Parts: sequence; structure tokens; C-alpha cells
Amino acid sequence: MNRKYARVLLVAMLAAAVSCEGKPKPISTDQVHVTPVKAEDVMRIVREPGAKAVLVNMWATWCGPCREEFPDLIRLARKYQGQGLRVVLVSNDDEDQMPAIKKFLAEQGVDLPTYLKGEKDMPFINGIDTRWTGSLPATFIYDGGGKLKEFWEGQGSYALFEEKVKPLLNK
Amino acid sequence: MRTIRSIVIPVCATIVLAAISAKAEGLSLGSKIPDSTVKMKNVDGKDISIADVAGPKGTLVVFTCNHCPFAKAWQSRLVEIGNAYQAKGVGVIAVNPNDPTSYEEDSYAVMQERVKENGEQFPYVVDGTSNVARDFGASKTPEAFLFDKDGKLVYHGAIDDDRDASKVTKHYLHDALDELLGGQAVQMSETKSVGCGIKFRPKA
Repeated sequence: MNRKYARVLLVAMLAAAVSCEGKPKPISTDQVHVTPVKAEDVMRIVREPGAKAVLVNMWATWCGPCREEFPDLIRLARKYQGQGLRVVLVSNDDEDQMPAIKKFLAEQGVDLPTYLKGEKDMPFINGIDTRWTGSLPATFIYDGGGKLKEFWEGQGSYALFEEKVKPLLNK
Repeated sequence: MRTIRSIVIPVCATIVLAAISAKAEGLSLGSKIPDSTVKMKNVDGKDISIADVAGPKGTLVVFTCNHCPFAKAWQSRLVEIGNAYQAKGVGVIAVNPNDPTSYEEDSYAVMQERVKENGEQFPYVVDGTSNVARDFGASKTPEAFLFDKDGKLVYHGAIDDDRDASKVTKHYLHDALDELLGGQAVQMSETKSVGCGIKFRPKA
């Protein structure tokens, strides 16, 4: 290929990649991973060494604000996973919603490991954090030592997630 | 440009965080009924307050709504409990705190339809500013608050321990009501379940 055209093609591809940043890139449901967990399993994943920051997000397929903030979470994960961010997505749907869960995750292009609440509400909620009322969505941010640094209930935004996570990654 | 990114974005993020986490803590046990005289529009068109429906044996206030699949899952159990204990002298009132601009399904018209379908014999009212929910420290639907005959909180939380009626092992609200009527202390006085975050209307 002519060098000039190769350069034009490369620029076009980069432009396309940049303009697509933030839009989910759908994958097949076969590439989606959802594992049932109890609260103690989630906390074990939080405390696993190797991360500088861990963001846990409680969501459900039927929860509007959860679905709205989801692409921002995925964008954050893609941008910062190479810098020590672990994103732990935990669906609070019922197990019989698994097809809907996988469909949504596939549409969002989520090929990282994700989880499903696999025990009764109350022990799960209190096992994660006694301040969590059980309201969805809920976001918990831990440092690399597994210590809780931020927690909120309600819809977040990319700016908020990034603002809370970056200082932990920079340490 | 760098100044904008380093100042404006964190400020905006902080405002978002303040807005979503700034709410009252849940009511503590022993608290009196908040906003007991605040009038709220019932599905029959009348304005009523919690004090208007308070019962001689106690008062049950449940925050619920039309759209939330969890509220729907517990709906028939709520109606059953509400109807049964209203007949035993507990005042019962269901309150919809949600902004219907968030979910059209949470409109007053749909509330009226649901009452016909569900057969509840207690009021289902609109918390028109969402401030009653704020003052209760309610965070999600469904969420129940049971007060004794003196208007003091004796139970707060879930209806029971499973959104799937066939898997319930602990009937939290039922048990709390029976203990209240029996003059006993409520054993499991604070419980939790997963639910839809309340869609608060903006503060006036």
C-alpha cells in the first residue's frame, strides 16, 4: 500500500477509535462471565492483593440509574485497569434473570469477571457494609489495602468515579 | 484548559456526590412519626396525613411505588398484611415518594389503577415533595416503618427476607406487628432488603 494512503488510513482508524471511546462495543453473551457470590466472596475479591483501588458497584438489570451509569463504569475500567484499578460489578438480580443479565452485559461489552448476589438480601447487604441500606445503585471504593475510602447510594457519573479513584491510583 | 479540568470537573463531581448522599439517616428506634400532620393526596382524591390514619394499636407507614420490580414483588404481601392489621387496630398508609418525571409509571393515575387491581383497603398517597420520605430517612422502595400506639418507631425495614414469596423464611413485618399487638418488644427491629432507590423530587 502507498505510504500516503497508509498514513491516511491510520489517522482515520485512530479518529474512529477516539470517537467511539465511551460507546459500548457489544460482545457475544458467550464472552460474558457472571459468578454467584456471597458478601464474604466480594470482600475477598476486594482484598486480593494486586490492585491500587477497587471499585465495587451494586446494580440490577431493572434499575434505571444503574443502567445509565454503567457505560461510565466500563469506560473507567478500560481506562484505568492497567494502572491498578479493579472494578467489581455485582448484579442484585435474581438468578432467574441470568439471560437478561448476560444480554445487558454483552450489550455493554463487559468481558471482565462479574458477579451475582447469591444469598439473602440482609446478610449480603450487611456483609458488604452496614451503612448500605440496600438501595441500588450503590458504589464502594476501597484502597489497595482493602480499606473503604468512599461509599454512596445513587447514580454516579464518569467524573465522580474518576475523581474518587484517581488519587488512589496515583499513590 | 488545564485549570478547567483540574477545578471544574472535581467541583461538579463533588456537587453530584453531595446531592446523592445528602439525606437524613434512617430514623432510629423510638423516634416519633415525622411529618405526621403533613397532608398527602390519596388515590380517592382526599388529602390525608399519617395522623389521620394512626391506629389505636399502632401505625404502619410503607414507602412503595408503582414502577419498582421489588415493590411489585412484595405488593400482594403488603396488601395482605396491611388489610389484616388495619382490621386489628393498626393504622396503615402506603406512601409513594417518587418523582413521576423519573418514571411515568409512578404517576397518580397509575396509583389509582393499582389500588383497584390490588385490593388494598388502606390509603395510598402521594408524597408530593418527597420531603416526607426525606424526613423519614427512607432510601428505597419498599421500606416499612412501624410505630407503636404512642407513635414511637418499633420496627424499620423489610417486609420479609425474600423478594420471592415462595422462599420466605423470616416474616419480619408480620412478626413485628404480632409482637406489637401482643405487648412484646419487637425482636428483629431493624432489617434490610435490596430495593429501588427513591426518586426524590428536587428540593424546593
